[in-house]
Amino acid sequence: MPSRSVLLVAFAAVAVVVFFVLTAPTRTLLADGKLHLRYWTITGAKDVVPYYAGSFNRMQDSIIVETTPIPWQEHEKKILTAVLSGDPPDVINQVTPVAKWASRMALVALDDYIARDHFDTTAFFPSLWGEMKWQGHVFALPVSSGSYALFYNKRLFREAGLDPERPPRTWDEVSAFNDKLARRDGTGRIIQMGFIPNYGNLMTSILMAWELGAQFLSEDGKTVHLDNPAAVKGLEWTVKFYEAYPQKDIAAFMAGFGFADQHGFISGKVAMMVLDSSFPDQIRLYRPSLDYGIALIPTFEGSPTASASGSWWLAIPRGAKNPEAAWQFMKHAVSTPTQLKEVAMTEESLFPASRFAAHDPAFKNSPEREIFVAQMEYSHSPSVVPMAHDVFWREFLGAQERAIFKQQSPEQALQQGERTLQRMLDESLAYDSYVRSRMTFPGVK
Amino acid sequence: MNPHDPPYRFWTGRRKEGLLGYTFASPWLLGFIVFGLYPMVMSLYYSMSRYDVLRIPEFIGVRNFSTLLFDDPYFWNAVWNTLFYTLLRTPLAIAGSLFIAVLVNNAVRGVRWFRTVYFLPSIVGGVVLSVLWLWIFNPEYGLLNAFLNLVGIKGPLWLQSPEWSKPSLVLMSLWSIGGGRMIVFLAALQNVPPELYEVVDLDGGGWWRKFYHVTLPMISPVLFLWFIIEVIFGFQVFTEAYVMTKGGPLNSTMFYNLYLYYKAFDDFDMGYASALAWLLLLLSLVITLAQFKIGRFWVYYESERK
Repeated sequence: MPSRSVLLVAFAAVAVVVFFVLTAPTRTLLADGKLHLRYWTITGAKDVVPYYAGSFNRMQDSIIVETTPIPWQEHEKKILTAVLSGDPPDVINQVTPVAKWASRMALVALDDYIARDHFDTTAFFPSLWGEMKWQGHVFALPVSSGSYALFYNKRLFREAGLDPERPPRTWDEVSAFNDKLARRDGTGRIIQMGFIPNYGNLMTSILMAWELGAQFLSEDGKTVHLDNPAAVKGLEWTVKFYEAYPQKDIAAFMAGFGFADQHGFISGKVAMMVLDSSFPDQIRLYRPSLDYGIALIPTFEGSPTASASGSWWLAIPRGAKNPEAAWQFMKHAVSTPTQLKEVAMTEESLFPASRFAAHDPAFKNSPEREIFVAQMEYSHSPSVVPMAHDVFWREFLGAQERAIFKQQSPEQALQQGERTLQRMLDESLAYDSYVRSRMTFPGVK
Repeated sequence: MNPHDPPYRFWTGRRKEGLLGYTFASPWLLGFIVFGLYPMVMSLYYSMSRYDVLRIPEFIGVRNFSTLLFDDPYFWNAVWNTLFYTLLRTPLAIAGSLFIAVLVNNAVRGVRWFRTVYFLPSIVGGVVLSVLWLWIFNPEYGLLNAFLNLVGIKGPLWLQSPEWSKPSLVLMSLWSIGGGRMIVFLAALQNVPPELYEVVDLDGGGWWRKFYHVTLPMISPVLFLWFIIEVIFGFQVFTEAYVMTKGGPLNSTMFYNLYLYYKAFDDFDMGYASALAWLLLLLSLVITLAQFKIGRFWVYYESERK
């Protein structure tokens, strides 16, 4: 009977599919008697195996780290689904806030390993080490970071009659210098600026808020204060700036900016910018003749300078099968000698997370680096409200935009943002307490 | 029971045939259940939960919906932006395609060449198109403002201006008016019986009478179909805003689906995002039903002729 054989084939096909689904390989491969550690690292344009992975494989012969580069695009979602599948890599590399992952129980706590091995936690910059923690537990180790500083164009300073060896120290000076450096053509179009608040690697208004001691989150982590005097003052400065230089004129001026030699600073169209520690590489690459200086980020009279960090880190995702080997690898990767080698060997300038490495003469070998290292001591974590990280930044940016466009006063704009942010935080906290009473994972705190 | 009846058999010919049918359809059925039905049912459940993907969902009833409707300024802003975009774009896109279809429906020399030329732009789409138009809209170096400059107009900031950002995206979407929609209109136009035009000629009517009293009624079912498709398509606007504006400036291009994406994949607030998705479904449903109601007054089906 033909129909029976057809049925048989169909069922056999289904059975084969089910068999493969159920027996899909989930365990670590041990073909050569070594433990194969799966490490997922984020890469940009080039697929590079980091130095610390290669050197770890060479220095011992029981563990092999298999590095899988995952592209920057959607990397968060890739790791997320891997954790969710129950078969994640053994070690992950990330730059998004540790707290964002730890608060969602995605990472294994490292406290026991740190205590057992007397791991030196003071080797790292305090702000970077602070980022590794969530509710008192350590969940990750910092590998590298970026540092920031004020870059200024000495040639433009000279042309404007300013002293090229005297960068601005306060925001008032930035304003005054900008007035001398800004130029318009015959039709009123802006053709050169001294400074633009929202052009550069860090937002000026958040730096100002930090410098003035803004506390965005209460001690117990339950109440947000987006609308605080420091943040208001930062926004007011920004709004005042755009009153003298209308947003639409600046937008038109910036329309021609891009990467490489179209960058505002490299092309010599913007005289002062807050940029990161890898930027000198770009200048060397695209315009080596650029005559520029580097200084600490300006502040207000009597306040300390401020900067943002944002560490690249390594962590063990929940459900990883080889936490002990993963810890050994991570410890090696973040050690001072490894970081010094890594920094020296990588084409793109990395800034070490280890304070010892950063202060080592092998790294701190130029006046530029001196400034970057000094600025790093004043850095703040970008993870301001960890339980509502993206909401905080969206609301802060939104408030700033509404204030600049004169839809609301800085205070009103921040108040509106605060309401949304508080509501989101309340939701997160309620959900967190619900989940934590019902869900546990081995090693996850 | 009659003892002469044949013994009861379950696998009769009909049942066997039925089973065989389902077996052959099973790849699709399985696919639909696993990748279609299951996610839909789960998202309905998530829409009534707090859920961050990495942890278990917490059921909270209709709270997400009440927050969305009564306590979320972004939601109504996103609805307004999406409606604005859809209502401005749909008539322009359909009228534009119809206009081109009427043009290339004429039996002039080289009409095939023109049809191809009008169709060509629609081959480029998605992210590539967005990046291309980023340059066209560039206020300093863009083609658009360069042309406007030639005729002495100082062009706006386009995507960077809260007033112009949505119209800019509508303008950009008209790039493909010569595409598939135009082809369908062309086919519909060629199906209009020529004798109807002859009747207008006999009555002394010009091209406008022909178009208004013959062409439009005859192709109205096709127009109706496209109104429904384009409105739903308009609600789904996402790529342009995601690639070009990220919702800015001043949230003027924060469209419904973009907000949903940020909620789902930046905040990992899947419950809230699911609620958004279900509200969008409801909104599309209501508008489509309304279109069917209104359609009765202007759509002409030949089969219904009394």
